[in-house]
Amino acid sequence: MALTRRQFLTTVGGGTLGAVIAAACGIPEDELFVQSPAEMPEDMVTGLDNWYATLSHGFPTSEGVVVRVMEGRAKKVEGNVDYPINRGRHSARSEAMLQDLYNPDRIKGPMARVGERGDGNWEEIGWSDAISRVVYQLEQVSAARQNREVVLATGPMVSHAGVVVDKFINAYRGTHIGYEPLENTNLRTVMKNLFGQDRLPDFDIENTNYLLSFGADFLNTWISPVRYMRGYGEFRQGDRERGTLVHIDSRFSMTSANADENVFVKPGREGLLALSMIQVIVSSGLGDPVAARDITGGGAVDLEQWAPENVAEATGVSAEKIKHIAEQFATHRPALAIGGGSAGAHTNGLFNLTAIYSLNYLVGAVNAPGGLIFNPAPATDDLADAEANLKVGSAADWREVIRAMTDGDVKVLMTDGSDPMYGLPGALGLREASYNVPFIFSFASQLDDTTAMSDLVLPAHTSLEEWGTDVPAAGPGHQVVGFQQPVVRPFFEGRGEELGTKSMSDTLMAIAGKLGIDLGLDATDIKGVVENAARALFNENRGSVRADDFRAFWAGVLQRGGWWDTDSVANAGTVTTKQLPANAPAPEFAGPAGSEGSFHLVPFSSTSMGEGQGAHLPWLQATPDPLTSATWQTWVEINHKVAKLRDIREGDVVRVVSAFGGDGITAIAYPHPGVPTDVVSIPLGQGHKAGGRYAEGRGGNALSILADRLDDETGALAWAATRVTIEKVGDWKRLPKFENNNPDFARDENQRIIKITPTDS
Amino acid sequence: MALLGVLGVTSLVGLAAVVFILLFVISAWLGRPLSVFGYNEGPDQPIAFPHTTHAGSVEDGGIGLDCTFCHRNVTEGAAATVPSVGLCMTCHAVVGDGLAEVEKLREYSAEGTAIDWIRVHRVPDHVRFNHEAHISFFSDQDEILPSAVCATCHGDVATMEKVRQVEPLKMGNCVDCHRDNDAPTDCTTCHY
Amino acid sequence: MADEKWGMVIDVDRCTGCQACVVACQSENNIPINDEGLFNQQRANQWIRIERTWEGEYPDVKARFMPVLCQHCDDAPCEPVCPVYATYHNTEGMNVQIYNRCIGTRFCANNCPYQVRFFNFWEPEWPESLKNQLNPDVTVRSRGIMEKCSFCVQRIRRTGRNAKRDGTVVEDGDRALNPACSNACPTGALTFGNLKDENSAVAKLAEKEMHGENGRGYHLLEEMGTHPSVIYLKKVDPTAEKVTEEAHG
Repeated sequence: MALTRRQFLTTVGGGTLGAVIAAACGIPEDELFVQSPAEMPEDMVTGLDNWYATLSHGFPTSEGVVVRVMEGRAKKVEGNVDYPINRGRHSARSEAMLQDLYNPDRIKGPMARVGERGDGNWEEIGWSDAISRVVYQLEQVSAARQNREVVLATGPMVSHAGVVVDKFINAYRGTHIGYEPLENTNLRTVMKNLFGQDRLPDFDIENTNYLLSFGADFLNTWISPVRYMRGYGEFRQGDRERGTLVHIDSRFSMTSANADENVFVKPGREGLLALSMIQVIVSSGLGDPVAARDITGGGAVDLEQWAPENVAEATGVSAEKIKHIAEQFATHRPALAIGGGSAGAHTNGLFNLTAIYSLNYLVGAVNAPGGLIFNPAPATDDLADAEANLKVGSAADWREVIRAMTDGDVKVLMTDGSDPMYGLPGALGLREASYNVPFIFSFASQLDDTTAMSDLVLPAHTSLEEWGTDVPAAGPGHQVVGFQQPVVRPFFEGRGEELGTKSMSDTLMAIAGKLGIDLGLDATDIKGVVENAARALFNENRGSVRADDFRAFWAGVLQRGGWWDTDSVANAGTVTTKQLPANAPAPEFAGPAGSEGSFHLVPFSSTSMGEGQGAHLPWLQATPDPLTSATWQTWVEINHKVAKLRDIREGDVVRVVSAFGGDGITAIAYPHPGVPTDVVSIPLGQGHKAGGRYAEGRGGNALSILADRLDDETGALAWAATRVTIEKVGDWKRLPKFENNNPDFARDENQRIIKITPTDS
Repeated sequence: MALLGVLGVTSLVGLAAVVFILLFVISAWLGRPLSVFGYNEGPDQPIAFPHTTHAGSVEDGGIGLDCTFCHRNVTEGAAATVPSVGLCMTCHAVVGDGLAEVEKLREYSAEGTAIDWIRVHRVPDHVRFNHEAHISFFSDQDEILPSAVCATCHGDVATMEKVRQVEPLKMGNCVDCHRDNDAPTDCTTCHY
Repeated sequence: MADEKWGMVIDVDRCTGCQACVVACQSENNIPINDEGLFNQQRANQWIRIERTWEGEYPDVKARFMPVLCQHCDDAPCEPVCPVYATYHNTEGMNVQIYNRCIGTRFCANNCPYQVRFFNFWEPEWPESLKNQLNPDVTVRSRGIMEKCSFCVQRIRRTGRNAKRDGTVVEDGDRALNPACSNACPTGALTFGNLKDENSAVAKLAEKEMHGENGRGYHLLEEMGTHPSVIYLKKVDPTAEKVTEEAHG
């Protein structure tokens, strides 16, 4: 039987149609089953949700959250209403913890390197094998127990995970270095120098009347943004008079956008500007008389040299404006001056912050409502020790460690997911030095630049699977211990004992056990350590959770997500006003040779991805930057008029070159009207060499081209002290952003328009 | 071949297609496979669980368990829930020695694996059905036990050797019943 | 019939543009991952977004943020153009979108002055493990379907049902009732509630700011006559500039 062509086509077409209908109307296979599990935990009912209180760690201050769990899966994160830091609010980053837990690129079990370091070839090994490899390496060190042979880099943590790390590293007389990408070393030093405080204070934004902020992008990413934003909401429209926010910055940040008045200052001149304001306040007699006398050491410091007229040119701020702001600041109390971010990230960063925070003396804002509120020491002894022993590494400390690595003194390097190889300026040379370290292992739950360079990965749980505690990096003015509990079973639990993930603390304790080291923790796992911590708090018998027996107390702290005592405020004693520095050092910048046409590079933390910690989470990648609405890429913000002069349009791929980091990085130009003419800004967070499908090989990493300029006194990284040149590469690439590019429509001549004129008042 | 010659390949295929589509439409209209093909006997489950034995009345040789004894969440939440293997084992650890199906259950329990029951009643993904709301409404209105309400949609399961779908469970059924009982008919009652 | 008219008050003076609402919404409502390509096609999907407007230029520059979501208009331009009644106004004052009715004409999106309706140009895809996070209370929309902010109707339904079961009443400001965006907002800029309940926070704010002295309340694109259920409170700018209207031309 022969088919004609027409008959053949009809048959085929009909068949296809049938197949399409059948397929389209079919029911997905997984809906054809209803499963009855072998055993149902008591608190788990199909279709009903439970909310568990826990913590979202370190973005940069942890937030208390409650997580909605249905049928053993985490569904939604919301703020914990009780938790003193965020009181029911939460950030985009806390929400994205869910994607960290269910990330498709998580490390599923211990892995050992195959081939050369950094090649990216791994083989999966069992946990007992992995731990014995670590034990073997550490035994080599144990024989000698030289100083600094073991280096452990983690995020800065004051928690019981920190206690375990601390005790472990002490057994080796090794170095535990807390790593902060955009470090707050200068801020900590200023708190110590000016107010005698060992920890960061709280800022009572909620009750302040006039908030003067220098470079501190506190409404975006700085220290504890959710807490500050909560206060800011009340500061604006709470049950009180509306507060005034003046933000002084060298770039146009999110905080500038929300300020009543934003003032652009020349990079690194924030301190000089603050001194000038002090001069205005003191000379006009608006400040507290005692503070005004002491701040100059009774006249030893010559304030007149910083009179507004004398500094207007250097700071780029007019004398009238300096006078106006200073007078407003001194007369609208309670007033508060805060500083940080790029203001403290210059070679004269410590000086800048010293001058800025000295303003608070003059308006009585030191440890007073509406001002700085000091934080007390952590509630328990072991946490206090962990805080005291925590060394948050400055760039100078890192330089030391890197030198030891280069010299071959470091035998074992350990890291968690804090990823210093991504975050430290390339000029410091950590990556190169790491080749001289015989053994590197990582506890990350996700591949990152540092983990990719390691020999062995012992993958950790994500924070929703783990026990822990946390003392907030900047507390709320009283003692808080946040409690973290696993809200779901470990995601890879089904892979058995030998594979899957384990808590970093548990792994360290297991290693110590194998080596026969007694950590003195009186527990066999981190859950036991956390339980002991709860017992210590139970015995204190004060604060938010009190109970007759420990079981009830334990249930109480887990339910409320932590323990706090609002009466346990810091005992500040009397704060005496410290004398100002006698002269104002100028900032130094490192630029390409022949700085003709170069810009100040002011990098900033991405609202969603921070300094790269959130780059592997698709929600955070897709979160539009508030000012540009850009996503998924690295862009460079440049003044629109300067861009026009240089013939740079949005989407032009440009190369940003400093004198460091080789050829520099490429980024997509985004000209906008808010950028100062001599500054370019680049968001951090992209440019990962490793990190899974969402992060890897995307955009450029501005940290890699930073100069290794440090603060003259503290050795903190001056990450805003780099100058760069910008040149077009010739490519054009669409910047993936949410806003549209439609041109303005021509205005209808007959339509009424709204005209805005200044008022008389 | 002669017939083929008369009708032609095209027509034959066309006829087959028409029949196929008609069957498809009719069965979709009724909301379940046509009984004429013997398709509506209910699926074979991994364990041939007899509702007659468990839920059937004592007179009929069952033990007369209340529906809510196993489907525990039906008066609490959206899902009726099937019991866990552990719940079955509270009785079957000692009851039913030597019965092949009970032995199967004990195997599941010993291995700690879940039973994948084949779903009999299913509403599409875009429908939010809440058992609790319906059970409590009818049991309050008619002053009957919650378990007496189940049969409204599920038929007399207690007499079914194999559970099968008796009502079409199409949106028409839902809306008819909602209208009859003055229940909300706003789309977002069920669709969101 | 219904005792509810759901509404929201957005205080622009509080909003900092931090995007917490945006991600909270993505998580609650199973919004597909907006990958880079979708942004480049201008097809990214965000039921709530932060709009930024520039005022002036360096050095006298300001930026303003405004969260924009479906305004749930009482006279919604999207409703009459739907040929299949997939979008309509319900008795609780919400503009609702019924996915199983939608045939994807996109007329509604074209007619919406607020640009808050989003079309699924592609089948939403998640890596297998990320599907664990999907909210079982919300339909995963398929390709060819229009979607938009629902005021988290799943939460309204759930709290309503649970309250009825337990014989309680849903209280104003219940966090289980509030939409995800409103719970997340760090500055408390988004207030949600029942406008018909005169003791609710949202009704009090609406009364004070829309009708009170020196009220800051306004509706977005008021002149369109859409009568939204979302009220905006304008930003306070103490470097005050008086706004006058004058005829041009």
